[in-house]
Amino acid sequence: MIITVVHVAALLTAAAGLVVATVAIVRTRRISLALALLLDFFTAASLLRLVGPLTWPDLGTAALTIVIRQLASRGLVAAESSDHL
Amino acid sequence: MTIDASLGHDLADAVDFMVQVVEAAGAAIIFAGAVSAFARFVRVAFRREGMAPFAQVRLDLGRFLVLGLEFQLAADILRTAVAPNFTSLAQLAAIAAIRTALNFFLGREIKEELELVRADQAAGSAPTAGPASDQRESDEQA
Repeated sequence: MIITVVHVAALLTAAAGLVVATVAIVRTRRISLALALLLDFFTAASLLRLVGPLTWPDLGTAALTIVIRQLASRGLVAAESSDHL
Repeated sequence: MTIDASLGHDLADAVDFMVQVVEAAGAAIIFAGAVSAFARFVRVAFRREGMAPFAQVRLDLGRFLVLGLEFQLAADILRTAVAPNFTSLAQLAAIAAIRTALNFFLGREIKEELELVRADQAAGSAPTAGPASDQRESDEQA
């Protein structure tokens, strides 16, 4: 029961991330900001998905999400700093 | 022997219940953070105030995520008390490592984001921009 509720919450969080990223692109025209916000919400969703009993594929997916998030985050920082130059 | 087995079973049930409570609390915190960040974003998205409000939204969401992660790590630690076999322990170790790594990276990102917000406020025209404790106030007033 709790697991189902938490997984629905994860879906809602991911959907909120998509909405936020879309609005951020439309309002600010900055893809880097939109991507950062999207990654934040997706991280929240993936953390919610880790609640409850886990399998190795779940763990692998979570680890991959963090790696992608870190790579994208580093890339965004590099892009931002090159924009300021 | 039977009493020992019964006690062990009771202990496992009690720990399992505590794990569920702590994990649910962590999930509730993370979801509350996402809802709060979404509401704040909707509020600031339709104003023309530069990038600082967006950074503040990310900062707040990051804080909620870190707090929720702490609860989930606490649940992992509780689980180790009744892990029945080596596979369960290995999975616990993996998930604890993932959550600890994410906690570390989130903490670092929050620090960087905070510095960006401070720099943005210092560079802004508001001469009254104060220390970190005043950030939310100045954001609300703006």
